[in-house]
Amino acid sequence: MHIRKYDFNYGRRQLMKNVAMGAGAGVLMPLSKLFAAEQSIAKAYPDELMSIEMYTKGKIKPGDFITAQNVDVVKELLDPIVYDQIKTMNRKIKIRATETDLTKMFPYEYYDATMRNLKNGLAGKFNADGNVVMPDGSNWAGGMPFPDPKTGDEVQANMAMSWGRGDYNQYAINDTVFNPDGSKGYSYDLVWAELQVQGRCDGKVFRDMKDLVRLQTVLFTATQDVAGSSFLSTWYYDQRKFPDLYGYLPQFRRVRQFPTNQRFEPLIPGVTWFLSDAWAAGDPMRTWGEYKILERKPMLGAFNSNWGGADSDNWVHNVHGGPTGETFFDVEYELAPEVVVLESKPVGYPRSPVGRRIAYCDVRNSLFCGCIRFDRQDKPWVNFEAGFGQYKAGDKEVKGPDGKNTAWSWTYVMSFDSQTRRMSRIAHQKECTGGYQSIFKQGEDEKMYSRFFTQQALQRLGQV
Amino acid sequence: MNDFHVRQHLLKSGALAVGLGLSVPASAGLFEDMDVSFGGFVRAEMAARTTALENPNNQGGNYFNDRSVGRTAFVPPALLPVVGGSDGLLQVLVPGTELGEWGSVVLPLFGDNIRRGDEIVSVDNDFNYTVLRAEGEVGIRFSSELRLIARVRAVYDPTFYDEWDARSVEQFNNGIEGGEDFDERLYTRSPNYFDYIVAGGNTPNPLEWTGRDYQVYFPALVLEYNTGDFNFRIGNQQIAWGQSIFFRVFDLPNGLDLRRHSILDRALEEFSDKRVPMLSARLSYQMTDNILLDSYVGKFQPTVLGNPNTPYNIIPVQFTVQDRYEQGGYDDELVYGLRLKADYGQWGWQAAASRRYGPEGVYRWTKSGVNKQLTGPLGSLVNVLYAAKVPAGDGGFCNGGAFDATLCRRYADSGEALANSPFEASPGGVYSADEWFRYAAEVRLDGITGLNASITDFDGSQDVYATPVENARQAAAQLNTFFIAANDSLRGHIEREYFQENVFALGVSYVNESDNDFLNQLIFNIEAQYTPERTFTNITLGQEYIRQDEYTVSLVIDKWHRFFAEFPGTYIVFQALTKNRSDLVGRHLSGYGGKPLNELEPTATRATTGKNDNANYVVFGFLQPFPNKIWEIEFATLFDPEGGIFAQPGVRWNPGKGVTVEGFYNYINGELWGNPNDNLLSTLDFAEEFTLRLTYQF
Repeated sequence: MHIRKYDFNYGRRQLMKNVAMGAGAGVLMPLSKLFAAEQSIAKAYPDELMSIEMYTKGKIKPGDFITAQNVDVVKELLDPIVYDQIKTMNRKIKIRATETDLTKMFPYEYYDATMRNLKNGLAGKFNADGNVVMPDGSNWAGGMPFPDPKTGDEVQANMAMSWGRGDYNQYAINDTVFNPDGSKGYSYDLVWAELQVQGRCDGKVFRDMKDLVRLQTVLFTATQDVAGSSFLSTWYYDQRKFPDLYGYLPQFRRVRQFPTNQRFEPLIPGVTWFLSDAWAAGDPMRTWGEYKILERKPMLGAFNSNWGGADSDNWVHNVHGGPTGETFFDVEYELAPEVVVLESKPVGYPRSPVGRRIAYCDVRNSLFCGCIRFDRQDKPWVNFEAGFGQYKAGDKEVKGPDGKNTAWSWTYVMSFDSQTRRMSRIAHQKECTGGYQSIFKQGEDEKMYSRFFTQQALQRLGQV
Repeated sequence: MNDFHVRQHLLKSGALAVGLGLSVPASAGLFEDMDVSFGGFVRAEMAARTTALENPNNQGGNYFNDRSVGRTAFVPPALLPVVGGSDGLLQVLVPGTELGEWGSVVLPLFGDNIRRGDEIVSVDNDFNYTVLRAEGEVGIRFSSELRLIARVRAVYDPTFYDEWDARSVEQFNNGIEGGEDFDERLYTRSPNYFDYIVAGGNTPNPLEWTGRDYQVYFPALVLEYNTGDFNFRIGNQQIAWGQSIFFRVFDLPNGLDLRRHSILDRALEEFSDKRVPMLSARLSYQMTDNILLDSYVGKFQPTVLGNPNTPYNIIPVQFTVQDRYEQGGYDDELVYGLRLKADYGQWGWQAAASRRYGPEGVYRWTKSGVNKQLTGPLGSLVNVLYAAKVPAGDGGFCNGGAFDATLCRRYADSGEALANSPFEASPGGVYSADEWFRYAAEVRLDGITGLNASITDFDGSQDVYATPVENARQAAAQLNTFFIAANDSLRGHIEREYFQENVFALGVSYVNESDNDFLNQLIFNIEAQYTPERTFTNITLGQEYIRQDEYTVSLVIDKWHRFFAEFPGTYIVFQALTKNRSDLVGRHLSGYGGKPLNELEPTATRATTGKNDNANYVVFGFLQPFPNKIWEIEFATLFDPEGGIFAQPGVRWNPGKGVTVEGFYNYINGELWGNPNDNLLSTLDFAEEFTLRLTYQF
């Protein structure tokens, strides 16, 4: 018999108190200590925050599905749009056990860099300009700068400094857009490539580009009307500055420079997401502001979700739900013991259609599962829901950059416009049109730089 | 797009290797990453006319088809010394009369009233453009370094038009003929929409197959090799440079293909299907993180214009054009150039140099080669007089020394003389002096000096008593006399040639950052081009081309701005361009300001005023997406401060499932104020239309 040391609501009360006190993560002990000691996070939280079965008093347990019939049991653990999808759109979500091993919640190299900093007593801080720097004021050298985030700024910085948490990330993506009636409207293939310039896991500065933090290119390979469109964003280390944006549009047959201050525009017809939505940190961090932790609470989310490789060779999850049974991926949620409900506002965009956004961030790895943006009337607009996890399912496994450890990355995104009921269902695939593959490699940054991140590369990627 | 990937396991199985005739080991690394992708679309495109004005450059839309014009014949001054010299008969009868000029002495009984429409049938079209288009693109990636890209475009025009057929004038003076370089496909039948035929009869665009109503070609067929900072492409390809949209300051390598829908497609597509692909090699090298070098060398391909009597033809069909692209050896010429582009944060710069042949080409009078005598009562009289002249080479005073065209002849008859002039006595040409001056003004040529050049540069013209004139009155008198002698009309023959030029370009860009939301992220680009000794068509069509230094400067300002919370941001572009020698399409500015005959002073010695200042243009455009970008509103306008405007509002609907619907209206007004021949847009006034495009992509 398990003897309960704390009453049932102790954990939740303590989390609320932590918010009031501006304390870091952890209820029974600071999460950061466990992080540094490489111990199970179970020691930081009482049982009811670590077990969905205990939390729901046996009504739901790992392996069960949350459906319209039982979703009200866990309504408070879901973001409101996911709740609505389950309640009204025939969405169902399988529940899995809460992950207690932190090493499974990061790419190995990123975790290693974070641990290295912790062991050396190095933590990030903000300089006078609001940028993350090392204790000595130099630019951040890699890993998660705030393993125990206490403020909204620190949570956001953890997401903003290194999007994919690898030095080079290349994602082959399909974005299928469903119309409000559930019919398939659009199906785009694209390649998203990120090259981290600073804040890298290897601690180096790529090509000595000390004023930059990353280079990022998106290339559309299908459908035919957008194929060959590519955009290169050069991100400054200074998060007050907008990236430089160069694009190749097939109709122009050449690379042109484009303005980059409008971040709330659909790049292609039908999609519900904006550049601003990516990674819940798609804009330079200091062009947003008023970061505020509204709440710390347990939540259900795809924080360590199932990998689509179990369902198909191209890593695409099976689907269900919606008017035609195709709107949602079959994904798994787990109970995260402590999720920061982070509010932020687009203070640098006076005419933004977005009033604010709320990201639900797991303190274990400072990553979001859902990020809801609200319109100017403060109505929920779009939920940018993402799943993350290791690329392993049964005997199928994808190795990470070092070729030894299991790869870790985002596995899917479902960007749902709750006002128009339009869904962008985005899969992180093994391969997409054009033969581009998702890549987890290290040591090929120079090659990838030439391939994706120069104006010559844009011209070449642009086909004809 | 449906895509399929030829995966390495297929290759490893040997199936593809066999199919490609390759001998690749099962685990070969060379084609390990091989992939094939395919995509394409089909599109129906139609443009409905919204103006009653047919294209006046075509036979069926000629301004004078429905107008009756009086013509008077005069005694050629070349004959006056015989009858009216200082001691001649007329001087005796009417002392003091100036007889040495055209218009002095009327030839009674030969005058008439001509109505062009009595020979030339007018047309009345509801549509300017109706085509079905299919495009497909195949990408074969052999490895991360090597790939082949092939894009094929097929266009079919069912020709649902009220067409003017040249066979309808065969009964008049044996119809339109042409000479040895003449191609019947262009001038003696119904319009040919797609063949690009040069003198000699060939269709010189490589990898292109065309007929009257279809066109199939490869806008791209390129093999690409990429390694590190080098990228090399070889094949049929298009190359575009520069930040300016539509204004071709840096956009030097390719000519334009103005068949199909001319320049009247969606403005925001710019020249996407207009650049003439060129067999070329292109090497680009990322020299540093910030500097890109781009270079090319290719086989020269000129701009292709719409054929005679096709809806967007811009060369009046009273001309027969002999394109010397092959005969002049230009098809063997190479063009080449390089560009450096560098970007440093807010600032950027670019520089380019190109040695090329001007793709637009230049025009001048050329011998018609059509041996067809003058005819009709007056023509017969001329023929008799001509036969009475002493043939050169028969000895006597017609040999050596100053040749007297009044008494001597170089040719057997007036037909041979005309063959050695730029004229052809056939229907479908110019019927009156009024028509001559009106059209000269519209194409920015000088009707007076142009006439003189057609005489002084050609002994065949002089042989049939044509002589240079001093003013508009004399020109009109001479022109009408010869039109009557041709028993209706004269067709003019011009040749198109190409000249080498060195083009230099410099550009600078700056991204403005400001706390003011509207001023923030404004991107400024200035691009300048300088071409020393550029060759222009002489406004006389004379044999001597105009050669002058030309500069072109453009300013481009782009930005995104959100005006409404409910709508995505608006993309806004503003552009301005100035040129000191020619207009946007390369016509020399000295040919501007021309007037019809009835607006010219009879004593005017020039029919054009020319432009004293530069040609200036302003472009403003915007793109306003709706939420989710399912609807987009577009607007673009080209404004000529001299009194012309081209405005294009449009809407685009992306309902999904591979379907796109686009509609846009082309409003063109070249008569806002002033003389229409002072602005660019009056040239396209006839092309006001609504275009609808339905696309299905696969």
